[in-house]
This record gives sequence, structure tokens and C-alpha cells, in this order.
Amino acid sequence: MRNLRIAVDIGGTFTDICVLDESSGELRVAKTASTPADPMDGAMNALAVADVDLHDVTLFSHGTTVATNALITRRLPPSAMVCTDGYRDVIEIRRSNKEELWDTYKDVAPPYIRRRDRLVVPERTDYSGAIIKPLDEAAAREVARILKKRAVEAVAVCFMNSFINPTNEVRMREILEAELPGVAISASSQTIPEIFEHERFSTTVVNAILSPVIGRYVARMSEALAEGGYANDLLMLHSGGGVMTAATAKNFAGRLAGSGIAAGAIASRHIAGLCGYDNAIGLDMGGTSCDVSLVYGGDLRVTKEWHIEFGYPIRFPSIEVLTIGAGGGSLAWIDDDGALHSGPQSAGADPGPACYDRGSATPTTTDANLLLGRLGDELAGGQIKLDRKAAAEAVTSDIAEPLKLTPTAAAKAIVSVANANMADAVRLISISRGYDPRDFALVAFGGAGALHGVALAKELSIPTVIVPPNPGVTSAIGCLLVDIRHDFSRSYLKAAAAASPGDIEAQFAAMQSEAAEQLESEGVAPQDMVFQRSIDMMYAGQWRSLQVPVPAPFDSVDDAVELFHRDHEREYAYRRDVEPVDLFRLNLTAIGEVAKAELMRHAEKGGTPEPSTTRPVYFDGQEEPIETPIYRHEDLPAGAVMAGPLVIEQLDSTVLVPPGCRAETGAWLNIIIHLGEASR
Amino acid sequence: MSVARPNFSLDPVTFEVLKNSFITTVDQMAEQIIRTCHSFVIYNRDFSNGLNDVNGDSVAQGNMDIASHVGTLHYTCKSVIEEFADDMHPGDVFMINDPYAGGTHFNDVRIVRPIMVDGEIICFAQSNGHWTDVGGSVPGSFDVQAKEMFREGIRIPAVRLFDKGVFRRDVANLVASNTRDPSAIFGDMHAQSEATRVAEREILRLVDKYGKDTVVTGMKEVQDYVEHATRRRISELPDGSWETEDYLDRDPGGGESLIPIHTKLVIEGDEVTYDFTGSHGTIATLYNSAFGGTFSAIVAGMKTYFPDLPLNSGFYRPLNVIAPADSIVDAKWPIAVSGFLMPFEKIVNSIFEIWSEIMPERGMACAFNLEYLLVGGRDLRSREKNIFMFYDWLPGGWGGRSDRDGCNVTTACFGTGLQTQPSEGQERLCPVMADHHQILTDSPGPGKYRGGAGVIKTSTIGAADETIISYICDRERSVVWGIKGGLPSMPHGLWIRRKDRDEKEWFGSLFSDEPIGSGDVFSRSTAGGGGLGDPLERDPAAVMRDVEDDYVSLERAKTDYGVVLRTIDPDLAQYEVDVEATKSARAEIAAARAGWLDEEPEVAAGRYQAGELNEFDLVRRYGVIVDWGSGELLPKTTEQFRAMMRKRSAVHWQAK
Repeated sequence: MRNLRIAVDIGGTFTDICVLDESSGELRVAKTASTPADPMDGAMNALAVADVDLHDVTLFSHGTTVATNALITRRLPPSAMVCTDGYRDVIEIRRSNKEELWDTYKDVAPPYIRRRDRLVVPERTDYSGAIIKPLDEAAAREVARILKKRAVEAVAVCFMNSFINPTNEVRMREILEAELPGVAISASSQTIPEIFEHERFSTTVVNAILSPVIGRYVARMSEALAEGGYANDLLMLHSGGGVMTAATAKNFAGRLAGSGIAAGAIASRHIAGLCGYDNAIGLDMGGTSCDVSLVYGGDLRVTKEWHIEFGYPIRFPSIEVLTIGAGGGSLAWIDDDGALHSGPQSAGADPGPACYDRGSATPTTTDANLLLGRLGDELAGGQIKLDRKAAAEAVTSDIAEPLKLTPTAAAKAIVSVANANMADAVRLISISRGYDPRDFALVAFGGAGALHGVALAKELSIPTVIVPPNPGVTSAIGCLLVDIRHDFSRSYLKAAAAASPGDIEAQFAAMQSEAAEQLESEGVAPQDMVFQRSIDMMYAGQWRSLQVPVPAPFDSVDDAVELFHRDHEREYAYRRDVEPVDLFRLNLTAIGEVAKAELMRHAEKGGTPEPSTTRPVYFDGQEEPIETPIYRHEDLPAGAVMAGPLVIEQLDSTVLVPPGCRAETGAWLNIIIHLGEASR
Repeated sequence: MSVARPNFSLDPVTFEVLKNSFITTVDQMAEQIIRTCHSFVIYNRDFSNGLNDVNGDSVAQGNMDIASHVGTLHYTCKSVIEEFADDMHPGDVFMINDPYAGGTHFNDVRIVRPIMVDGEIICFAQSNGHWTDVGGSVPGSFDVQAKEMFREGIRIPAVRLFDKGVFRRDVANLVASNTRDPSAIFGDMHAQSEATRVAEREILRLVDKYGKDTVVTGMKEVQDYVEHATRRRISELPDGSWETEDYLDRDPGGGESLIPIHTKLVIEGDEVTYDFTGSHGTIATLYNSAFGGTFSAIVAGMKTYFPDLPLNSGFYRPLNVIAPADSIVDAKWPIAVSGFLMPFEKIVNSIFEIWSEIMPERGMACAFNLEYLLVGGRDLRSREKNIFMFYDWLPGGWGGRSDRDGCNVTTACFGTGLQTQPSEGQERLCPVMADHHQILTDSPGPGKYRGGAGVIKTSTIGAADETIISYICDRERSVVWGIKGGLPSMPHGLWIRRKDRDEKEWFGSLFSDEPIGSGDVFSRSTAGGGGLGDPLERDPAAVMRDVEDDYVSLERAKTDYGVVLRTIDPDLAQYEVDVEATKSARAEIAAARAGWLDEEPEVAAGRYQAGELNEFDLVRRYGVIVDWGSGELLPKTTEQFRAMMRKRSAVHWQAK
């Protein structure tokens, strides 16, 4: 019997599986089509394709878009909200702003729970936590009666100021639990005990309505896995970049929203780490969009300001990923006033780029890459033939002729505009946050990332590009290499000058014991538990806080304040030492370390292999094509060193290495491209 | 495909890259501001950022900027250039807030940094933010008693804030010392200055990569591009002339009557002219607009119909404006202008109405009016009895649209990026607690497509002393209107119920410095949007859904829409349409309604005083405007309101 670790990552188009043999460190990957009607089918198909016997599996981890899709499509169970009288509309009033400021016909999506299903009870707690109106229990029972009659499956209990005193909210929850057995109930004070009603309520609503969805999903999945012979817990990947057990996932279902995006970012961190880089920018470019993430000092950037749909914040910490509409299928077009654009519209997988010959005659980034010789005439090992003539016609009629360019120049223009859009996205997540791209490596993956990685690195002065061995299924690896992770936080509103380290330590200690209990319930042994603390702070009078890591035990407020000044300067380019600093929130991350299996190292044989063929390729800054060696990825031994220009082709991706760059294969078969002079 | 690109010298890639880079640059400035500002008004997104070329013309403005600043940043930049033309040096930063020089109001303070290459200015970065207080006679710097600017706040003509990189404490102190919160002012000066530095870094990066000349050419050509696009789209529209009139509630210095702003739009070839001839003279309060504010209203209104075009001076070039001097849309120094948003919103809604004719597929009725509330005093919850300022604004409903209802609870057309504040934050900071803050049933203006819903917020003063309340709003009398047969929504205004008293006192939409004490309750609601189309043509099923969700009451479903519903099970929010009763109710309304607008106004006012009719009945059925507290008829106002309602609503009602 073998010991296998499995990760299955369900995306919008494909379901990826990654199988790691613990004894050998050997890694296998496979890809199947996703099955939107029942995503679980895709997962099961992937297991079949990878020929896995579940009896051999010791760890099964799973990333899924099932939560995100349920929110977007609004295929949600009948749900309700119970609110403080006078506050039933908090999630509809929101912050009342719009995402699209100028187009009066583009609306914010409606709230997840209709107004008729938002019921109220008399009760009120004030800002200090004093109960100025106790819960009206008769009214609470009446609400329970109505909700029972409506056969709701989930209820969010959302009371004003419950983050500071949860008494009324907890009592309401108890009454509902007694009257509505089997219904998923989330109380805002237990979901995310933080100030600001809309953000807390919105998070709680998302958590509540996803609970039945996730509950059913993990139950079915666990059962199917158990039937197949898997004996351990199903681990679910959440947006914070860790996993939790299936049983916990039901209670924190909101954390599974955004799960799909996290995997790629985690993978890029891991791959950069293997190659010796602590700072990395992840670029996951697929057919329709491009996800950008950032690792600094070995940690992924995390944000609490995100949403699946604008207006409905989810305050669970989530890996910060910036998504833009730039992919291989992005359409190139000229507007009525003569400006050239790339995306955000995409030809998608169907009909796909013009060169797929499936009925689209609009040029895409992929068509341009084909014309430039950067892509060969087939993809996916010959499963998809690319029609160069169709690509040329599309680029010529839509772009080259109107702009009076040669088809080659037009193709270059298309790729350049696409690259510039991605570079702007990278700037927003790096330079505008105070990070200097020159200190980073770019991890380029996804089906199209490796084609554009070097050009982007050059634009941003990033000296190194890393392409993982299976760029098209890299996300699944991220799913495989994570720990159990939970994030806890509490509002803590105090001036730093008035804060006592003892009180802060007591608060952290209380959070930590709650966290340890949670980990223990998931079977984590005490020696595998790791706790990380941080405090959100700001200059008195500011409105946004910065999260600053602090040590345990906590013994000095002054040290924490100094760290804050330093981080403020890095992020915003200035510090104000004389200004008083306020504390805003305490955060605790609890990690249950999962023993990591080692990926197989390959002996670095070195040398320069023979190319399989050559073809003419147009590179930036070169008028004429260069007859360029084409390598097959499987022919490259670890330790190979090659000078550009060259192209490396493999099943799921094509790597472009321009002249002046040097490529080498590392011990884990990552391709590391040094730009050298080219990055300056 | 033919492409009539203007004579661009840049290749298409460089052009596109520079165009996007300029916009990304101002977006990066916004990111920096939102994370470092001190004014909570800025934090809630009342700010804008821009890049101006060497002449001061606008190259790019932020994607998420507040609407009421667009179209003004180039004026303030030009004013700085005029003042310091030959005396600008690397490291210099300037500051200006002058509404008479093209700014908006005194609270909007702009920080301008010249960006230089080899000693030569190639452009300017500008960061504009609404400071919470700029002095004057009342906290927050909105004094409804002000007739001239001297009560409003400090006027900052173009001044130098950094001299070759050195912060001029003297200038900064002079400004900050004239405000109520000097430390926040210093914080925002730094936050805004740093934001302009972000722009400098990005522009210099572009210069490094593309060369100075290319970048400067790019700044010119992005304006040419937008001008070309704007002209092309205008020329595709039919030539013609459209007129409408909207009103402010009153001139406190005159008798009871609505104050007209007359808007005439002429499209001729590829140019558009807005002519405000016929608008009222300046009025004896702060609700006047200087030219900058008026131009901003035109740009913001127009931009709604060209949402995809980038904002820069190219968009302004095909626009001509005729604004009579010393009118309410072109106030000169020293007339008070801090409330320019009130004329601003009237102009914007007039533009919405006119463009609803030109582009019927993008029609929209009137939106609710922006409102600001300020309660200030001493907070007795703290030992130090700190001064508190409770500064609040509410969302409301937007107008019904050509094929769908208006947006519920959205920020005012002053700027839809502006955010509503959380009650939990307000309660911590101020001894003011909201008893409720929720959607107001029946607030939407009825129509085939109804307006969006407004809200009601009722608050109690807690442990506080020396407390006063002020309110800045409008459309208490010039009630939010419907179009194409749609109906008005409801009056804006504020009630106070004193501690231990049962009756409420009406204060309306405009007052200041009213004492208010612990235990007193104040309540105000925001209007829904106006309806679009005849409410009798609204699908009864849609009315039923609104009743299920309490946007509309059973009662008003019948009076406003003629839809009669039977309740099946209130526990399940289940109703059904009584088809026969609906048919006859609709026939009755159709037969009677034209007559309601001719009924003796005194009679309707009397029935309001007697409690037989409410304010919805008065404005929606009878077109009668009264003092909503006493019920006293406002005859002149009613006459104007009825004339307006005949044009916007009644003329579109088909005989049934």
C-alpha cells in the first residue's frame, strides 16, 4: 500500500488533481473538465483520471468554487435574518455607494436576503455594552414561529453592538436553536466580533446562507470518500490560505468563499520558497483572467477588505488577490475613436480564440502569440490544433488594417497592450503598497502566464521569473501544501498611550485558548499548534488601520507602536512620530501544522540539452524573427542551463525566454529565468 | 472599418499604455489618500485626484472620484499657475480652496504639486479633499445664516505650502489656526501632499521609460482622444434644443416661492451648449453656486450619458456654458457658496431629465436630495466633557428608469462613491444614538417604474450639554419629481420631539443653531426617487412584490397604483391581486386625477390639517405644498409645483 496525498482544486473551467506519493516524493497532476451542475462529479472524475485508490490516501485536501458560485448565482437555501428592531435594512442600506459611479444603469447586486425575510425583535445594547433594552423573549419566539413556518434553512442573528456584549444575540440564538432544530444559525458576535454593523452583518449573512450549502457538500463528499476507502478527515481550503476539517467548514462556511483563488497564491509562495525567494509576485494567467498575489518575507499579503459581489463585504481575512480581465482569450479591439484595447472581454474556452477555428473571428492575445511564433501550432500535446491562417485573418482585419500596421506589428501591439494592463495590476499590488518589484521574483503560471512572464518582469524591473513544472495545474499544488488555519479577531478600541500590556496579553491569552480548543477538536496535537498575534493600529484620527505583528507574550506597547511607525513608512512613505497612535483590533492566527511531504528532488545533472526543433519567433525589440530552439520540457534534466532565445513547450503551457535571458532548471524542475541585463 | 483617429503622433501601444498609466497614477493617489487621511469626510470618499498638464488642463481624473469635483480641478490648477507661474521650483507644493477661482466650496482644499524634469514643469498632480472643518461661524463650516463668505470659512487663494521641499509651518499654521481641528488639518495636508508625490514618482517613471517628449505628447493626445470621442458621439445625436426648470425650496431673504434654475440645452453639430438664462439671482443663504460648481454639475450630469469615456479636459472642450453673472449659478465674491451642492443637484437632475428625452433608453426621474446633519456640543460621557461633532448624511432613492425601478438607498448624485457611516461608529464617538435607521415604506415615487426607496433615521440625544443642531437640505417644497407620467415622492425635512412631550415639531429642510437637549429625539427621512411612467400602468405583480417586501404599503398600493391586494398569509408575506377590484380602482383614479390638480388648494391644506390627508396625498394627488408642520398653505409655491407637475406628470396620463 502506498501513502498518497491528494489535492483536488475545482475551478470555473477545469478541475485539477495533484497526487503526491509520500514515500517517493513523486508528484503527478491531471486535469478534467469541471462539472458546474454538481462540482463533486468533477472531483470524482479527477480521482478516476488520476487512477487513485482512496484506500491509499492519507490526506485529502480540497479547494472549491462551490461557495463562490452559490453566492454569484444566488442558488441559496431559503434564509432569514433576525435583527435589532429598527435595523432590518443594514445589509440593504450597506455603505450606499456604487461600484460603477457614472453608469446609472449598472446597479449594485441586491442583498442576499430579501427584505421580507429580515425580521426584527425589540432589544438594544449601547456602545459601551450596556443592555438598555433586554431581548423581548415573547417577540423572539414569535419570530421563531414565523421562520419555522417559512421553512428557512439558515438564519443570521445580527444585533447592534453585539461585538461588545453578545448576551442578547446569544439568547436569541438559543431560542432559535430550540425552536428550529437542524437549521444553520450564525450569530454575528460569534462569527466575527468586530465593530461596524454592515461589515459584521454582511459577513454573518454570507456565513449563514453558505452553511447549508457547504454542510451538504462536505457531507456528500466525505461520504463518497469514505465509501471509496479514505479514512481521514476531508480538509477544505479556505480563503485565508489554510484548511479546516469538514465539520468546522459547516460553521465557518463563509470562509470557503474565495477558496478557489487562494490556492494559486499559496502555490506561488511555495514554489518561490523552493527556489530560495522570500519575496514573490504570483501571476496566474489563464484563458479569461489573471490573478496577481504578493508574498513578502515568506508571507502572503492578507486583506480583510474584499467581497465576492460589490457592497457585501466578507471580513474574514483572505489572501489578497487582484484579478483583472487579461487572459489568453482576451479580445483585442479598436474603439470607435481609434484606441487599441485588450480585454476585459474574453473569447473564453468556447468559442475561444480565432485560431481555435470554432467560429470566432475576433483576434485574441493567443492569436497574436501564435502569429509571433511564440506559440506553436498545437496545444495540449496536439489535442488542440491552432489555425495560423484564421489568426492572421482576424488580426489583419480587426487590428492591422485599421491601424495601418503589418500583421506582425499588430500582433506585437496586441501583446504589448495586454502586458501593460497586467503590469498596471502588479503595480497596484506592489509599488502602491510600498514594495519595490526589484526585490521580488515573479512566479508565472496558469495556462498563459509563462508566455508573458518575462516581458512583464522586464516592464517592472523584476530580475527573476520562475515557471513551475506544471504551470497549468499549479493551483492544486497550493491546495496540497497548507496547514490547518483559523483566524480570530476582536475589536480593541484604545489609545496606545492608555493601553496596558497586561490587559492586551489577557485578551490574547483568552483568544488563544479558544483557538487551541478549536484545533484540538480537529485532531491537532498541542506540539503542532502555532499561534501568531498581531494588532491593527492607526494614527489617532486616521480611519484605516495597519496590521502589525506582535510577539507572545505581549509585554510592550511601545515596541508595537514603533513597529507601526515603521510599517506606515514602508506602506505610505511617511511616519509621524509625534502623533498619538490608536489600537483598533487584536488578531490571532492559529495554525495546526500538517506534516509536509517532501517533493522529489532531482539530481542536477546540468548541461545544455538538444532542442527538439526550431521555429522562427518574433521577440520584442527585434524587427526580424529569430530561428529559435524549441525544447520539450520533459527532455530537460535538473540543472540544465540554456541561453535565450528559446521556447520550452509542455502539455499545459509554453515558456518564452527572450534573447539576453538565461534559463535554468532547478532541483524541483522549476524553470528559473534570469533577466540579467534585460531587466534593467 | 474606418478609424478617424485624430492626428496622433504616438503609436497605438504607447498611446494606450500612457492613457492607462495616467489613470492608474491617479487611482494610486486615491489609494494612498483613503488609507492615510484624517478627515472622516475624505475617508468616506469625498475627494478627488487629478493630473493636469503644463497649462493646467486636466489629463486624467480618478475613476472613483466624487462627482461634484469633476470639471473643477483644471480651474484651480490654472489659478495656481497664474499666481506662481515664474516662481515654481522642485519640491514646491501649493494649496488652494478658492470657489471664486473655480473651486467648489471652502471645505474642498486642493494640494497641487508641479512635476519637473530637468528644471522644466511637465505637469501637475492635484489632490482635493473635503476637510471636516475650515472655520467660519459653525462647526463643519456650513452656516445657513451666511449671506457672504465671511461666516463660511477661510478662503485660501493659491499659496505655497512647501518651499523647495520645506514645509511652510507659517502658512500651514495660518490656515489650521482658523479651523476647529488643527491637528486633523495638518494630517490631511501631509496625506494629500504625499498623494501628489505618488503621482510624481509614477510620472517620472514614465519619463524614464518613454522620454519626456513622449509623455508630454501623451498628455496632449489623451485629451484630443477624449475630445474627438465626445464630439463624434454628440454629432451622432440629432441637433435640437431642450428646456426644463427645477427649483430650490426658497430664498430666506424673500417671500414664499420656489427658486427656479432654468436649463436650456442646445445640441448643434458636435457641440453642446448649456444656457442658464432665466435662472434666479443669488439668494440670501449659502445655496449659491460659483461658476466652478456649476460647470462641475454640467460635467457630472453629462458624464452619466457617456460613462465609458475617461474624464479629462477633452470632454470639456465641446461644452459651452452661458451662466448669467450674479445668478444662483454664477455667484461672485463675496456671496456665500458653501451650499453649492443644492443648485448643483438641481442642474444634474435637469440634465438627467433632458437627456431622458435625447436618450430615452437611459431615462431617469429625479433623485432624492443630498442632506447633511450636524449636532455639536459637549459629551458628558467623558470626564473631560470633550467637544463632539455628529456629522451625518443619509442615502435615499434614485429616480425610476426607462425599463426598471430606481435604485434603493444610494448616496446622492453629489457623488455615488460617498459612503454612509456605520451607527456603531457614530454611537462610540458621539452621545447620539439612532433608534432606527431603515428603509421608509412608501417613500418611492410611484410610477410604471417606481423610484428607489429612501430611509428614515430617528436619533436620541444622550448625555450631552450645550448641544445645537443644524440641517442642510432642500426639496421640502420642491419635492422630488417624477417624469413621463410618474409621480413625486415625498418632502424632505426634520422633526424634533422634545423630551417628555408628545407632539413633534417640524423644522423643515434648512435651519441652524437650534438648541437640543438630552432625551430630545430628532427624526428625518430621505425621499425616494421620482417615478417614471404612469403608475396605473405598473404591473400589479410588481406592486404585489413591493408590498411583500414592505417597500410599499397595502394602503398606498391602492391609492397610488390602484392595485388592490388580498392578504393570504402575513406570516409568509403572501398576497394576491384582486383583479376586478384593481380594474375598478384604476378606472376611478384615471377618471378623477386630472381634477385633483385643479382642486382648491386651501381645501386640501385644510384636510391635511384635519388629519384626513397626509403629505403623500398632498404632493402625489393634489400637487399641494404646505408648511408640513402647521399645514398652512404655501400658495405661490403650490402654483409653481402644480405647473411643474402638469408638465412632468399629468400631460402623460392617457385617458382610460
